[in-house]
Amino acid sequence: MSLQLPPLALYVHVPWCIRKCPYCDFNSHQADNDIPEADYVKALRFDLQQDQVLAQGRKITSIFFGGGTPSMLSATAIGQILHDAENIIGFEPDIEITLEANPGTFEQEKFSGFRAAGVNRLSIGIQSFNDRQLTLLGRVHARDEALRAVGVARAAGFDNLNLDLMHGLPEQSIDDAKADLQQAMDLGPEHLSWYQLTIEQNTAFYSAPPVLPEEEILADIQDAGVALLAGAGYEQYEISAYALAGKRARHNLNYWEFGDYLGIGAGAHGKITFPAENKIVRLWKTRLPKHYLDAAHSQKISTNLNGHQNVFGGGSDLLTPESLPLEFMMNALRLHEGVPITYFNQRTGQDWSMLADNWARLEAQGLVEHCDGYIRPTVLGRRFLNRVLQAFIHNDD
Amino acid sequence: MTDLSHIRNFSIIAHIDHGKSTIADRFIQMCGGLSDREMEAQVLDSMDLERERGITIKAHSVTLHYKARDGKTYQLNFIDTPGHVDFTYEVSRSLAACEGALLVVDAGQGVEAQSVANCYTAIEQGLEVIPVLNKMDLPQAEPDRVAQEIEDIIGIDATEAVRCSAKSGMGMEDVLEELVRLVPPPVGDVDAPLQALIIDSWFDNYLGVVSLVRVKQGTLRLKDKIITKTIGKAQIVDGVGVFSPKPTQLKELKAGEVGFVVAGIKDIHGAPVGDTITHAQTPDVEALEGFQKIKPQVYAGMFPISSDDFEDFREALAKLTLNDASLFYEPESSDALGFGFRVGFLGMLHMEIIQERLEREYDLDLITTAPTVVFEVVKRGGEVIYVDNPSKLPDPGSIDEMREPIVEANILVPQEHLGNVITLCIEKRGVQKDLQFTGSQVSVKYELPMNEVVTDFFDRLKSVSRGFASLDYSFVRFQAASLVRLDVLINSEKVDALAIIVHRDKAHGMGRSLTEKMKELIPRQMYDVAIQAAIGGQIVARSTVKALRKDVTAKCYGGDATRKKKLLEKQKAGKKRMKQVGSVEIPQAAFFAVLKIDS
Repeated sequence: MSLQLPPLALYVHVPWCIRKCPYCDFNSHQADNDIPEADYVKALRFDLQQDQVLAQGRKITSIFFGGGTPSMLSATAIGQILHDAENIIGFEPDIEITLEANPGTFEQEKFSGFRAAGVNRLSIGIQSFNDRQLTLLGRVHARDEALRAVGVARAAGFDNLNLDLMHGLPEQSIDDAKADLQQAMDLGPEHLSWYQLTIEQNTAFYSAPPVLPEEEILADIQDAGVALLAGAGYEQYEISAYALAGKRARHNLNYWEFGDYLGIGAGAHGKITFPAENKIVRLWKTRLPKHYLDAAHSQKISTNLNGHQNVFGGGSDLLTPESLPLEFMMNALRLHEGVPITYFNQRTGQDWSMLADNWARLEAQGLVEHCDGYIRPTVLGRRFLNRVLQAFIHNDD
Repeated sequence: MTDLSHIRNFSIIAHIDHGKSTIADRFIQMCGGLSDREMEAQVLDSMDLERERGITIKAHSVTLHYKARDGKTYQLNFIDTPGHVDFTYEVSRSLAACEGALLVVDAGQGVEAQSVANCYTAIEQGLEVIPVLNKMDLPQAEPDRVAQEIEDIIGIDATEAVRCSAKSGMGMEDVLEELVRLVPPPVGDVDAPLQALIIDSWFDNYLGVVSLVRVKQGTLRLKDKIITKTIGKAQIVDGVGVFSPKPTQLKELKAGEVGFVVAGIKDIHGAPVGDTITHAQTPDVEALEGFQKIKPQVYAGMFPISSDDFEDFREALAKLTLNDASLFYEPESSDALGFGFRVGFLGMLHMEIIQERLEREYDLDLITTAPTVVFEVVKRGGEVIYVDNPSKLPDPGSIDEMREPIVEANILVPQEHLGNVITLCIEKRGVQKDLQFTGSQVSVKYELPMNEVVTDFFDRLKSVSRGFASLDYSFVRFQAASLVRLDVLINSEKVDALAIIVHRDKAHGMGRSLTEKMKELIPRQMYDVAIQAAIGGQIVARSTVKALRKDVTAKCYGGDATRKKKLLEKQKAGKKRMKQVGSVEIPQAAFFAVLKIDS
């Protein structure tokens, strides 16, 4: 009933990689270093110009360059994109700008350029410090490059670093996993995304599954890791996210708090609230880089995304009232602290009473709690979050 | 008085895979009932379920016109019959509408026990039985041996039996000629007061109740005002006709004919099977002998997974009972499963089919408890009660004697598998009553506890005989037995819907197998699940389903929300047929664990 405009973030997708990793189900396409950078930057500008209306007067609180491998772009290109974004939409004063980077030597050379272009947070895709694991994961970098990357980033002026690290890797023991994690912490990043390898559909691992550690080992790794991280001052604030005080990833927090975001680039997803029309829409851009680039050239007829026109449009979903409890909870309940209960009404437009029964049942089972105005999962609820979320699935969906 | 000499009403008695449906299809094709384009294999099996399982569950009818070699055209009314041991009752209904029956026997496999039973029913009802040897196109056909077997086992002369192949078409015309020659035409007076027997009724969402009738006397016309003898409420006939096999509207159905009647009856109990239809102006006409209401042999609790579906479930059962008079139900409430119904079935196949029909045709999600037979319990003081639900068994201290139902099972089996069949019967506490060698099959008679027969006996019999043994059985008496109730406890709470009644000698072993089986069938959950089996408060077996350590999706950002949502939905759909009992989710399969134990 009282749908409000939440904060707005911007996601920029860069759909190319030197090599596709066997576990990755993101929209990435193999390319050598000769990616059509200039054309892509132009297309992104055109994309954002059409999406400008979706901002509805808001400025951007955070930007995330994801991929693919955004660090394949030159610092100049990144600078141009940021310049365009600031001109077209505008930045909040304390904007967080994150770029995902590979720790390879080639990328490291660009780190200072990225910093100079305005990127203020670097997320380095380490995944593992074990060379054998890196090979199994199909990564193009090696342990020593990974170790060096943090120093290079510091030297380039980054004071806000994230390392992406996986666990539950093929053949990994508890000690292996702990060693990997300890190594990451020793490098002193402000933030760690430490997440368990999952075999997703449409990946090489899905069609030829590697032998993963047994469930008991996976759970032991998780427990040991959480303890290790907590001991070093990394607070777990989301299922797989750990940060030093004040260093949480604001861009990701915005997803989990059911904020809005624009998504530009091939296959990028956005989520936009329209309080005036009392609706929330998920929209995404055409997926293949070639189609995306062609759309910019050919003055193609724009695609209707639930009332919004964009020539890069791939599709859209109007979130139905029945689907909103799940949409909201599958984000909000990932957060250890949860979210203010008022967000549910403000950010879905739905009345809390529609899920009060479900909530009470989950509360009785000790899976969720509501205190100090916040709704959040309990320790048990975090371990069995999928089961908690199933309670919010509308039966006729 | 009209001439009825051109009418032949007949059924086909055949074992499930002896080719009845193929014969029916061939008849329809030969008589031009459907164009080739319309000819879909086995047109008579109209329920999806029937076609999928290759069995006939309900009686159907089809009217065909056959130009015989004598130059005359005959009206052939074929009433299809089910061919499984569970559906004997339906068979006797179909036969009541006929003057003759084709006994179709696979010329390779020989006579099958259920056909023997059905054949006797036909002979008792005064039908002319015409043996036919089918599947003559197969290399293993041994018509002479099988003809001898028919004579030995059933006692009808089969030396002249038509040898045919419905598949290749060979001899099929001869079958029709024999039918015309041997089946007597019906007798009846088209001008007499109307008497029509309701053979079957079903509910059509557009038409209301549709009934299949055999007109014995008089004429049933469009716009007639009719009543049924037991209900007496006048209705106008909106439609009469025959299935040819497509529904074909006619102006009337005359004495001797078989066809359908639609009379705008919206109440599902408006046209009970076995009732007699007559005109509103002749209410005193004598009722035809209906059908003996047969008692269900197997009972199970059925509970909607969502309690909101209870009323829909009640309505669905009421609709199903309309054309399945053997189905019995009454409300049941379970501590574990809430409100549902205790439903009585003719046998396991019947139960499976009803469950599937309820789920498919009525879109219900149900949990069915393990089936049980009815036990006779003599209480102290002499009161005799019947228990169709293990959880309702009185306190053992108040029981004087427990009696279990005993069946007489007739089994026909090729000699080389006899040893295995005997071993199985002994394992199932059987007592041999007779054994006779006939041709290449052996006819064995056993008395067996029905409890042992209704669960997995039929499947086991098939597997120990490589599919060759056949079975027919009927209840004979209740007999004292040492029986106990085996309770199942989930996390120390007794779950009433999981209790079973077993023989004391087998109870401990059963308890162990059951807890182990359930451990396999109950998925891992957030907590350990302790499964215990108990007899009279004493734990006799236990097992534990270890808790899952976690169930959480590692990553979820803005771009993959939609995919993650789909995964959750898929995961939830996988849990559809589970019922929450206390804090434990129990899948349908676990309720049937007792059926999956190799005892």
